[in-house]
Amino acid sequence: MRAVGMILAGGNSYRMKELSNKRAIAAMPIAGSYRSIDFALSSMSNSHIQKVAVLTQYNSRSLNEHLNSSKWWNFGRKQGGLFVFPPTVTAENSYWYRGTADAIHQNLNFLRDCHEPYVVIASGDCVYKLDFNKVLEYHIAKQADVTVVCKDIPGDEDITRFGVVRMNEDGRIVQFEEKPMAATSSTISCGIYVIRRRQLIELIERSAEEGRFDFVKDVLIRYKDVRRVYGYKIDSYWSNIASVDSYYKTNMDFLKPEVRDYFFHQYPDIYTKVDDNPPAKFNPGCEVKNSLVSSGSIINGYVEDSLIFKKVFVGENCVIKNSIVMNDVYLGDNVHLENCIVESRDTIRANTYHIGEEGVKIVIESNERYVL
Amino acid sequence: MIKKEIIAMLLAGGQGSRLGVLTAQVAKPAVSFGGRYRIIDFPLSNCINSGIDTVGVLTQYQPLRLNSHIGIGIPWDLDRNVGGVTVLPPYEKVGKSEWYTGTANAIYQNMAFMEHYNPDYVLILSGDHIYKMDYEVMLDYHKSHNADVSIAVMPVPQEEANRFGVVVTDDQGRICEFQEKPEHPKSNLASMGIYIFTWKALKEALEALSEQEGCDFGKHVIPYCFDKGERIVAYEFNGYWKDVGTLGSYWESNMELIDIIPEFNLYEEFWKIYTTNDMIPPQYISSGARVYRSLISDGSEIFGTVENSIIGPGVRIGEGAVVRDSIVMQGTVIRRNAVLDRTIVAENSEIGEGAVLGTGEEVPNRARPDIYSYGLAVVGENTSVPAGVKIGKNTAVTGATLPEDYPDGVLASGETLDKAGVFA
Repeated sequence: MRAVGMILAGGNSYRMKELSNKRAIAAMPIAGSYRSIDFALSSMSNSHIQKVAVLTQYNSRSLNEHLNSSKWWNFGRKQGGLFVFPPTVTAENSYWYRGTADAIHQNLNFLRDCHEPYVVIASGDCVYKLDFNKVLEYHIAKQADVTVVCKDIPGDEDITRFGVVRMNEDGRIVQFEEKPMAATSSTISCGIYVIRRRQLIELIERSAEEGRFDFVKDVLIRYKDVRRVYGYKIDSYWSNIASVDSYYKTNMDFLKPEVRDYFFHQYPDIYTKVDDNPPAKFNPGCEVKNSLVSSGSIINGYVEDSLIFKKVFVGENCVIKNSIVMNDVYLGDNVHLENCIVESRDTIRANTYHIGEEGVKIVIESNERYVL
Repeated sequence: MIKKEIIAMLLAGGQGSRLGVLTAQVAKPAVSFGGRYRIIDFPLSNCINSGIDTVGVLTQYQPLRLNSHIGIGIPWDLDRNVGGVTVLPPYEKVGKSEWYTGTANAIYQNMAFMEHYNPDYVLILSGDHIYKMDYEVMLDYHKSHNADVSIAVMPVPQEEANRFGVVVTDDQGRICEFQEKPEHPKSNLASMGIYIFTWKALKEALEALSEQEGCDFGKHVIPYCFDKGERIVAYEFNGYWKDVGTLGSYWESNMELIDIIPEFNLYEEFWKIYTTNDMIPPQYISSGARVYRSLISDGSEIFGTVENSIIGPGVRIGEGAVVRDSIVMQGTVIRRNAVLDRTIVAENSEIGEGAVLGTGEEVPNRARPDIYSYGLAVVGENTSVPAGVKIGKNTAVTGATLPEDYPDGVLASGETLDKAGVFA
């Protein structure tokens, strides 16, 4: 592959509410076994991108723990590797990353030292599979300066939290609005870009000189009329998880057979950090309907239309419906959960009742657990 | 110069013929256990958890799956710059080439491997037991008793002691007598086939016995050391230990994992058992499924009923299918409305729609009543069972079987159908 990868995983969003209190969005657990960033990393690895930089800033402990070894995604070769770049204080710079373009700017040396002619930029908060070789082929065929991966979203969804684009017949982006008040098109940017490495360095340097720090607003949108910015449309599954509702919905999508088949059973696979958990255990008295259950869990109660992540203990007579229970949660006996997201490593006391009546309820109890 | 205090030699070359079709195409240590594990994961995980980072795995019989499972030892953290795991198959030598003719002979042929690490102690393990054991504690015992050889033993019920090799110890733990499957056992301490040798004693014994045909630890090396008057001590182990040598004990020890609080607990954070991770996605349990008292591994999709069973990774159980008291291994597909009772289905097999396995009366197997008993129906790997057929108890099936292989659509209890041609 003739590209290096950069994953922007530094941001936070108020839309995640309490869920981002203890982790970066890119480290959000997804579909029972994965973390959000696995999808970008696996797509890059499966596209034979060998060198990937992850730019982190906000609350990165959990993400760093997940990225503890590059071998999970098949990086960590003599040629290439997985690099994690948090902001650092240097002789020239003592700022945090002030925006996505600034994050790249502060790590321009990484790009300067590469020899690959192209860069794939992706974000860590989307769930998808993508062959970046195809995007690159398109990019070269269109003689584009920047290629933006786009997707049509059905009319009934609110897309004003995305970048909304309009393309001409050739695929060139003629209109690009970031988080518009009212969307004028149903095509959105997926936050995945292909760009020539030298071009990127030049654009980022120029923006930095002008004190501009955002890649979309200050680079893409400003340059779209003077540079050839093209859209590459995908119609495969793509979902952004950066709000509580979309996080919930994206997870629930995995209860659909076609989504499971696409991500779990079709080649290539999504990789993740390996936890050596035993198989899930279903004890007498349990009843599980239309749910995903991950390794290391022990189920004693009733579970319906829900996702049970790794190492969850569900006590006796529990009722769990339409809920997401994240990693390493202990649910005492008789707990009732409906429309809830239970934060990881939590302990929910026995006989408690949680119902998300208007939308999804985030359950965080932070009770202490006694472990031997 | 490289120096390792202790290295482990893991004997994984045996067929384990009493497991019948399960080991027809794969060595016993590579047979699945407990859903996602293979038997060899237990001793390998014990090694790394005990701080032993140099392991030689001696392979001979059907090593393909074993080799690809072990690889360079990544799942067990045994990919090391110095040491780690090394697979040791028999090899050709100038003048005299031979297979591994016995357990001790296999070790003897790898003298150079052991000498390379310059060990003080050598731990001899076998790849067919299910247990968690801290070998470091055993090593401490070996050292504090100034022993030349330590043998791990465990107390068994006195009335069963006649099935084992029994050791009689003095009050210091030193072994004063061996009894092999004695009629009147003088003790209830059974040897577990786990030995720690002081390197000098092992080397001396192996060289002295180098001409011994089929040189074996239990039959030759230990008696030799005993006759020479070396200090042989018994290290008593009190914990779960299971020899899964027969289909019955294999099935039983799998089933024991389902108990609410199993005697052998895989869910403890401490002393994890490691294995390869070729299946990452979670498992899906559909609306019509019923899962009860079972272990189900990653990536499986369950649409039918699963009761008292162990399901491996990536298994698909169709609508209306019923799997009861059974073991289904990795990658197998059970089609709609199939019914399995006390059945073991090995890897990557397919059970056709509406097939019924493990039904009918219990009749002893005609060909090998010693292997296929316990009322189990056993389906080998890469086997397909056509739709609608009935298979009885104490049966074995291998290969791509067709409807015409089943007269009247039935394989009666006690019969064997070997399409893969793997029976000796």
